[in-house]
Amino acid sequence: MKRRKIDVRALPGKSAEALDERFQAATPLRRLLNKVFPDHWSFLLGEIALYSFIVLLLSGIFLALFFDPSMREVVYDGSYTPLRGVEMSQAYNTALHLSFDVRGGLFMRQMHHWAALLFMAAIVVHMFRVFFTGAFRKPREANWIVGVLLFWMGFLEGFAGYSLPDDALSGTGLRIASAIMLSIPIVGTWVTTSLFNGEFPGDVILDRLYIVHVLLIPGALLALISVHMGLLVKQKHTQWPGPGRTNENVVGVRMFPGFAAKAGGFFMIVFAMIAALAGLFQINPIWLFGPYKAAVVSAASQPDWYVMFLDGSTRLFPAWEIRFDLFGWGDGYTIPPIFWPTVVLPGILTMLPMFYPFIEARFSKDKAVHNLLQRPRDNPLRTALGAMAIAFYVVLLISGGNDVLADKFHISLNAMTWAGRVGILVLPPLAYYTAYRIALGLQQHDREVLAHGIETGIIRRMPDGRFIEVHQPLPLDEHAVEGDGHHGLEYAGWVVPKKMNRIGALAPTVKGFFYPIEKAAPTPKPAPYDIGVPKREEITSDR
Amino acid sequence: MTTQTAPEQEQFDASDPSLTRFDLVKEGARRDGVEIVHYAPRFPVPGTKAEKRIERVLGLMFLLTGLMGTAFVVAYIAWPWHYGHGDETYQKLFPFYTPLLGATLGLALLTLGLGIITWSKKLLPEEVSIQERHDGPSDRTEQRLTAATIVNMGDELGLKRRKFVGLAFLAGAAPLGAAAGAVLVGSLIKAPKQDGENIFFTTGWDPAKNGGKPVRLTHEDGTPIRPADVSIGGQITVFPGIPGGATNKYGDSPTLLIHLREQDAQETLRNVKAVNKDSQWQNFVAYSKICTHAGCPASLYEQQTNRLLCPCHQSQFQITDNARPVFGPASRALPQLPITVDDEGYFVATSDYRVAIGPAFWERP
Amino acid sequence: MTSEQSKRPLARLVPGGARAARSKLRRRLSAAVRLVAALTLVGGLYSAYAPGVGRAEETPVLSAQAQHGKQLYEYSCITCHGTNAQGVQDRGPSLIGVGSAAVEFQVNTGRMPLARQEAQAQRKQPQLSEQDAADIGAYIQELGGGPQLPSAASLDADVQKAQSDPKTLAHGGELYRVNCSSCHAFSTGGGALSSGKFAPTLQHSTNRDMYGAMLTGPQNMPVFGNNQLSPDDKAAIIAYVQNLNKNSQSDPGGWNIGRYGPVPEGLVIFLIGIAALVFATLWIAGKS
Repeated sequence: MKRRKIDVRALPGKSAEALDERFQAATPLRRLLNKVFPDHWSFLLGEIALYSFIVLLLSGIFLALFFDPSMREVVYDGSYTPLRGVEMSQAYNTALHLSFDVRGGLFMRQMHHWAALLFMAAIVVHMFRVFFTGAFRKPREANWIVGVLLFWMGFLEGFAGYSLPDDALSGTGLRIASAIMLSIPIVGTWVTTSLFNGEFPGDVILDRLYIVHVLLIPGALLALISVHMGLLVKQKHTQWPGPGRTNENVVGVRMFPGFAAKAGGFFMIVFAMIAALAGLFQINPIWLFGPYKAAVVSAASQPDWYVMFLDGSTRLFPAWEIRFDLFGWGDGYTIPPIFWPTVVLPGILTMLPMFYPFIEARFSKDKAVHNLLQRPRDNPLRTALGAMAIAFYVVLLISGGNDVLADKFHISLNAMTWAGRVGILVLPPLAYYTAYRIALGLQQHDREVLAHGIETGIIRRMPDGRFIEVHQPLPLDEHAVEGDGHHGLEYAGWVVPKKMNRIGALAPTVKGFFYPIEKAAPTPKPAPYDIGVPKREEITSDR
Repeated sequence: MTTQTAPEQEQFDASDPSLTRFDLVKEGARRDGVEIVHYAPRFPVPGTKAEKRIERVLGLMFLLTGLMGTAFVVAYIAWPWHYGHGDETYQKLFPFYTPLLGATLGLALLTLGLGIITWSKKLLPEEVSIQERHDGPSDRTEQRLTAATIVNMGDELGLKRRKFVGLAFLAGAAPLGAAAGAVLVGSLIKAPKQDGENIFFTTGWDPAKNGGKPVRLTHEDGTPIRPADVSIGGQITVFPGIPGGATNKYGDSPTLLIHLREQDAQETLRNVKAVNKDSQWQNFVAYSKICTHAGCPASLYEQQTNRLLCPCHQSQFQITDNARPVFGPASRALPQLPITVDDEGYFVATSDYRVAIGPAFWERP
Repeated sequence: MTSEQSKRPLARLVPGGARAARSKLRRRLSAAVRLVAALTLVGGLYSAYAPGVGRAEETPVLSAQAQHGKQLYEYSCITCHGTNAQGVQDRGPSLIGVGSAAVEFQVNTGRMPLARQEAQAQRKQPQLSEQDAADIGAYIQELGGGPQLPSAASLDADVQKAQSDPKTLAHGGELYRVNCSSCHAFSTGGGALSSGKFAPTLQHSTNRDMYGAMLTGPQNMPVFGNNQLSPDDKAAIIAYVQNLNKNSQSDPGGWNIGRYGPVPEGLVIFLIGIAALVFATLWIAGKS
């Protein structure tokens, strides 16, 4: 038999050639490897969401191998003694089975749930970063819309996911969801009856939620994430203004090896955080809740945090019901109070953010392409609107947990509700005003430093008795205009150095938290002693 | 920056022996619109102490990764993991199973991530590259060509000239589209009216569900209830005494039976509205447990203030006044179940609730 | 009168009276005796058959323990609960009929004596010893009757038995979830009620405290008398609660962050998850 000699060293080259013959991959591959990504910590926030999503997919596959969403009644016969012999649905039964009779099952369940919370938290944080830096402006409006859709898809996915185990807490949430659908005028009863195949809870809702949760929405999420990433690759990432950066280029590191190493390492860190949370912090202890029964409820019932703002809006909205007669047609009709905070409000909260890029472009009459980011201070109106939105959201979020706060901090529950009702009207305008003024103040300070130089803290007394502070002027560029004490430096949209060590006039800060981890750079020494040159250079102010 | 023209590309000879590999890399980057403006190895002099220190740190990181990863696998397999099994030691160690998994896997992944990041920050060369964006609209000529192609496509279809064909197509396709939609959605739709009655207006207390006989109030296990079974100032949850009455099949039926004190009972009778006439039996009242706001069980009964609090959105109902809402987002009183005691001394519901229970909806008058 | 007549003053009244005359003293003595006998007869008949008028103003005969309890009561409780536990308008309700169970519960958990009138009687350090509480309880019991607690030993034995039987434990859980969790939460950590009131946590409660609360319905808690939840049912519920709180296996997922549900979970994801990851991004990419 002939032995084929395989030249191992030539193997990579031969394989590459074989692939290229079939796919002409050489140029596109190199183009991908050479893509440049800008570097800033705030650009990594969206990646937290992406990596959490991957963890969700992997842990979800594990859970799907054990979970059965059937609502068929069974008698529990597993390891958890306090529920032995209790009647429950098969869904709750398999969820308990995962928690107590599958090795590592509880760990996987908790990993899945914590990753979901992190996914939504990262989306919110990333969304605010994009908003406050103006990255959603032309040409990235479409990506912004995809992002808003991703938030709401994640929202629905999370709701479906935590309702699947059919425990008493999430079952109550499902009941509230059915009441929300019921409140929709004209079609409410039809929608609910169709979805639940009868009255609540019916016997099919978990099977339907399961398909939504493992097939329909993950498919939508994968598609949307692909579009989101694809647009990012096509349009390239935005960047901060700075030296060498223009609206027509991207300054950073190439994809391989620099950026990929950072991304891969960060993936591991995010995964590590999820794993640590999953092991060390208990989440959603369904065995304490018991199976869902229409007569059972607990104090301190809340949905997961990303749904909690809607719970807050429901708690705060007053009992304003609209009842009317349609001129004798039928027996009279109702629009229940729950319709406004749970159907109309999310509708507004979807449409308004989604179309914000176009609204802002219309009002600012700005049709230019923007690839450079704006510091929040440089657009006080947008920053103030964002602060207002955050204040609104946070009041609703806190009100969603107002009974826990009332209980633990001994505040009257009724008072918490009233505080929320007043706060939701008073705090957002207050936040708007405060943020606006702060942004303006920061802008003012930037221009002051550009015009007058950095405050050194050195006070001198002039011959005529005045006290002045010595300012260190910033390095001039060739366009500066001398005279009259101002340096004519233009604001470039980037950080203005405000400390002496940032311009090299003093030693840079020593790196390290508790003790130095790097040796401090040597202090800049004055020029060596020379005849005719004074020993020390004094830092003086200008005329 | 101008795009590469063909002759320039042909001029570059990749097999020229005088070119270094980095020259090739730079040329490749240039063709992709990238200019590598700064590329400096972190340790130009190989083998310095600093470089060795970094390498040692990385070695340590990855060693820890391996150790922690192994610890994870060992703990996963060997540590006590099964609730309620095993002897006392086993049960003492059990609560640490999940935390141990989390700690070991977390540390393993953390050290891996830290190692990779340190590698990239400290060992990979410092680099600053600039890539040209190519924003803005496509080439004018290209735009015109594409527009012409599309418009021509429309013309070729000939819809402008052949109106009839177009209309016929639409007229035929529309019902087909409706058919697709109908199948998808049609089988899902279910009407709220079943057997001539709207399901939202009836509950398990309807005597029709019990062969015309009034339905007994029962405990969760089905045993009927006498007045002596409820303490003064106490309340119990009751279910319809029909097959499956305590299951979720009749999720709209759980009811709260309250035994009021004498004065409270008198006050309740004084306040009774027309819709709740004759629903009270001596000092006993029964209200629907399903909150009229969003359907959670409203069951936090404060026996001295006679308020019923719903824990979901903090609606409060005044029991001594027809269970009308006095705080919170609920806008309708809890429906009262008319009760009496039958010949054998057990509680029965004289009829179903007189109004629809639970959260309101469009058709509720 | 003859000397014979003076010796028997009533003799002249007796027909053929000379023989009937006796000494004056003896006659007076016998009259007195007959008077006393008649009075005693009438008085005794009266007190035997007449209704107990004014019995309410009499303190009933108390046992020694109750006597001690009465002393303690008049020191600690009388200002709000009045003499003879009748109650004082707008300050304290009548304790007639609440039984020693209510007294022992309120005093042993420190709720009574109240520190001040407020929405909720707060649990605090007991002001009186358990024996003193039992004594006051005996006093209230003998005054007006009411429910009584089982002894600690027998209750603990019952609870222990219930805990070791899975069926009873599960039954206790079902009873807890239908009757108790709406105020005290699935986690047994308690919850808010309206206007400043709250249902307290059960995580530090003794068996007897829980039994007493269920039996007597303190403050705004509904009453779960033994006709409604039998002593066995109560033992099952207590067993379930104690199992949740004392069994180290009840929180297998790590630190339970208070078992308050999604609120602390949300706090953890932001304060720990996002915060740590933001620090990581600062380290990785810096501020360029």
